[in-house]
Amino acid sequence: MDGLILASTEALKLLFTGDPDTWEIVGISFLVSFRAILFIVPLALVVAFTLAYGEFPGRRILITIFNSMIAIPAVVVGLLLYMLLYSSGPFGGWRLLFTQTAMIIGQMILAFPLLVAMTHVALQGVDLNAWQTARTLGAGPVRAMFTIMREVRFGLIAAIVTAFGRVVSEVGCSIMVGGNILHETRNIPTAIALETSKGNFEQGIALGAVLITLALALNFFVAMFRGRDMARH
Amino acid sequence: MNAQELISFRNIRKTLLRRRVLDVDEMIVYEGECAVLHGENGAGKSTLMKIIAGLIAPDSGVVEIGGKRMSWRLAYRTFRKEVVYLHQSPFLFDRSVAENISYGLQTRGLGRNIIREKVKSAIEWAGLSPLAARNARDLSGGEKQRVALTRARILEPRLLLLDEPTSAMDHESREQTFELIRDLADSGITVYISTHESARLYQPDRIIKIARGKLV
Repeated sequence: MDGLILASTEALKLLFTGDPDTWEIVGISFLVSFRAILFIVPLALVVAFTLAYGEFPGRRILITIFNSMIAIPAVVVGLLLYMLLYSSGPFGGWRLLFTQTAMIIGQMILAFPLLVAMTHVALQGVDLNAWQTARTLGAGPVRAMFTIMREVRFGLIAAIVTAFGRVVSEVGCSIMVGGNILHETRNIPTAIALETSKGNFEQGIALGAVLITLALALNFFVAMFRGRDMARH
Repeated sequence: MNAQELISFRNIRKTLLRRRVLDVDEMIVYEGECAVLHGENGAGKSTLMKIIAGLIAPDSGVVEIGGKRMSWRLAYRTFRKEVVYLHQSPFLFDRSVAENISYGLQTRGLGRNIIREKVKSAIEWAGLSPLAARNARDLSGGEKQRVALTRARILEPRLLLLDEPTSAMDHESREQTFELIRDLADSGITVYISTHESARLYQPDRIIKIARGKLV
């Protein structure tokens, strides 16, 4: 117990004295996950809109696939990506393995089905006539899409926040394709795993505290946006 | 070519869920007329109206504009800005009444001052001035229909398609809506109304009967 209290006190010191290594890891985590979400959101929106308003064979199967892919383990995505990016793999020549770019790609893959599924659910909550109304009033497909996005803004923000929460805390994919290299690809979850295995609980607790604070903040925002959304409909 | 012919359709077929919902040999929309498409629920009225509006494509058929036969894609690129379709339960955006009414003008890229003037005048026409700043979602059914009609009218379409515009409305709202529709028809806009109620309520120039997807 004394050890835990001591480690926690040291962890707080690391955070509040601005320990450069700890905050660098936090910075890498946020930067990688933020970029992953930023790059994948446009594609996810287009796919979600196509699933919501498109008429084509296999649409329902695709919706089921995206819903199922939410549960895909991060480590499996990491494994597949590793095999693709490994030096003798099909994309080995790109030399992306153990880089932040590889981590970003992995997190994009993880976030994609979640964003599509949640945005699709949000779109289903909108009146079916919304799209046709925008179109009949002269909006082109892109403008109509932005109009509907405004209608589902709370659901959309909830989807983005949830996806960010999912990727910023995943460890399996980051450790496999990032390699947990200090100053390069070491992010919060991989650092916690490493420091704990070495018995250095202080940094692990400090980073865990950042992650828990983030998780609570994200959940608070999601709940707030969902509440607003439900109040409006 | 008939000078009053706005758009015409021939051999329109549409199948939904393996059921033939529309089988129309000829449908001609004449410029400036007020017509009622009358039929029971499920007769194919809404499907036909949506095809005329270019919101859904038929499985087969021919469209002519100004007597010229053209592809559906080209027809609606030409015609989309000339026609406005209003759903039975009009969808209003989650914004103010004034913003809803200005939406179509914004898609046309008009200047702010022009939009402001047009919206002000349209709101006065519909008697919506006290509601202009309110969120359109908070209005009653009749008020929503008036906002939707105003939003359509402000675009000065050549053809206005109204799908069951007075269903599920109280007496007062219905009377107000009839008055607005008559006013729109009198202003020279071609107005087509679908209804399963008495067609005479709209005092149309023509009544088109539809049953089981066919014009009768």
